Amino acid sequence: MPDKERSAEQRQLDHAAIDRLTDELLPALVAKLGDSGLGEIEVREGAWRVRVRRPGGDGTGQTRRAGDRASRAQPGHAGHGHPPAGFEGHRSSKEPRESRESRVSAGSQTNGSTPAGLIPVGPGAERTEAPPQEDAPAVERTVATSPAVGVYQPRSDARPGSRVRAGDRLGAVDMLGIPQEVVAPIDGIVGASLVEPGQAVEYGQELVIVEPVDEAGSSGGRQGRGNREA
Amino acid sequence: MFRKILIANRGEIALRILRACRTLGVEAVVAYSEADRESLPVQLADEAICIGPADAKRSYLSAPAVISAAIVTGCDAIHPGYGFLSEDEGFADVVRAHDLVFIGPPSSVLERFASKESTRRLLAGHGLPTIPGSNGILRDDAHALAEGERIGYPLLIKPAAGGGGKGMRMVRTPRELEASLNVCRSEARAAFGDDSLYLERWLDENRHVEVQVAVDRYGHGIHLGERDCSVQRRHQKILEEAPTPALSEAARLELCERAVRAVVAAGYENVGTLEFLVDNAGNFYFIEINCRIQVEHPVTEMLTGIDMVATQIRIAAGEPLGFSQADVSIRGHAIEFRINAEDPERDFRPSAGVVERYLAPGGPGVRMDSHLYAGYEVPPYYDSLLGKLIVWGANRDAAIARARVALDELVVDGIVTNVAIHKALLSSEVFLDGKFTTNLLDRVGSAAFLAAAARA
Repeated sequence: MPDKERSAEQRQLDHAAIDRLTDELLPALVAKLGDSGLGEIEVREGAWRVRVRRPGGDGTGQTRRAGDRASRAQPGHAGHGHPPAGFEGHRSSKEPRESRESRVSAGSQTNGSTPAGLIPVGPGAERTEAPPQEDAPAVERTVATSPAVGVYQPRSDARPGSRVRAGDRLGAVDMLGIPQEVVAPIDGIVGASLVEPGQAVEYGQELVIVEPVDEAGSSGGRQGRGNREA
Repeated sequence: MFRKILIANRGEIALRILRACRTLGVEAVVAYSEADRESLPVQLADEAICIGPADAKRSYLSAPAVISAAIVTGCDAIHPGYGFLSEDEGFADVVRAHDLVFIGPPSSVLERFASKESTRRLLAGHGLPTIPGSNGILRDDAHALAEGERIGYPLLIKPAAGGGGKGMRMVRTPRELEASLNVCRSEARAAFGDDSLYLERWLDENRHVEVQVAVDRYGHGIHLGERDCSVQRRHQKILEEAPTPALSEAARLELCERAVRAVVAAGYENVGTLEFLVDNAGNFYFIEINCRIQVEHPVTEMLTGIDMVATQIRIAAGEPLGFSQADVSIRGHAIEFRINAEDPERDFRPSAGVVERYLAPGGPGVRMDSHLYAGYEVPPYYDSLLGKLIVWGANRDAAIARARVALDELVVDGIVTNVAIHKALLSSEVFLDGKFTTNLLDRVGSAAFLAAAARA
């Protein structure tokens, strides 16, 4: 572990190491974990240690039924140094963060990424202090998640292949008759639906894939329409 | 009986309710916030559902989220545990409106007992002595001062809604009263959404003794003895025991019988706890009723062998109690120690973090109700209760001896706990003599108390 008083140069080295671990090693480990059926993989390199654990769910807000836990192949969080400290195993997290913040902020991103249109619910929702996620890194999510526990209904005009912008409505989760909007987390193309219309969903559950549009248009134009119209 | 129950709580009580459901052969769904995804009740549940983010206002305190979760998982009842929505009559009402059963008193009963001030008057009318206090809710500062003058100082300012020490202040002079009213109002408003306050005479040396009752829908009520909760820090209970060392057996029996007669007459239903203050002379005064399962219910379970949570669920399902007062026998002595994530060395500041190692004590008469496990990360968002250690012995000395062994056995590494205060209590002469009073810890100062125990 780097110690507390580090020179600028050491810090730079650390950052470079973290960048490399995050961008190269981590995706590889996540893929490996997904394929292997292992619970956890740990790799040591010099002063750094990266641990990827399967429990997943953090940040993806998947339905967690006790029974089917083992079948889940979600990427977990990776740790450097003191486990279980870690940063979320997604692309844009460059800085190591303290364990609590990272775990929690990662967990709350589903919440943080369902922006403006969300209707506050429950007693005192209007004075929600939006606590830990404020300093969370702006992780690009490519799956729209459920803002509430209830019954999901997609919007008829948000079909797979439609072009959407971040914040566009993809559907709603009906919570006791109050529709809670499901919104696109990024600009992109609506992809596969992960749940059926009318299905019960929990808070944070992944609902609809939204594929980002890159320059070459390689990931977008599967069903044509979106890219050309843009 | 219910088919499937939604457990709308967390921590050790969620686990306790899950166990009761299994004992009764009822399916259970654990509702949890994102911060509790890795918690033990969620891991042990057959079914669990995420109802919102860490912020309790949008998860455990959100009536729409909880009810929606119950509906989509096919539950026919909701168990609110303690705290959160457990005594919210508005919530109980909405639950009923959705054709679900609130496990607790019916909303009409909750409503009748919602205000402490009117409950005091109601039960006084049914023969329970009460502490001299203000006539109704305080209208304004001038009214408060006039009432203060009439009752006499010192006084306790109390919020009409809720409990747990929030919005409560002891004042010794009119000046202090005037200075504290606004603070109490805003604390009460923040905690209960209601800033109504009332006044009570403060008994300088008093004990907190409460009576556990259970009343079924058909008006059949019994008591399950009393519990002594005099060991408190800033109005928060730290340790509870039964029977109370403060009263003779005859006095205990009289207290319990009068309590159950009064609540049955007042139309109470389900399990409940009547709190009393007992003064030096053994006089008791009714102060409030808790319409929920309480943190310290295991003390009663150890003495009676009766599963309080299962009883609560059965009554809510409309079953008759199924046993009478004669079937309830109180045996031996039990003590419960609340194990909190608090640092006694640092003014009981809450701690959070990863539990690196956890070893629960065991042996005859030892019970540990806790949601801890090695590797569990205690989230910082909720109350600091990590679990409860309950010991039973044939008499108080035997219980204390077992408690010493059990506290020494308990290992919680990685986070700071308040175990030191319990060990200090078990070497304190006042406690060993059974003479603890509610203000003793605060008067002596917890730090001084710990230091004295270290010297002893």
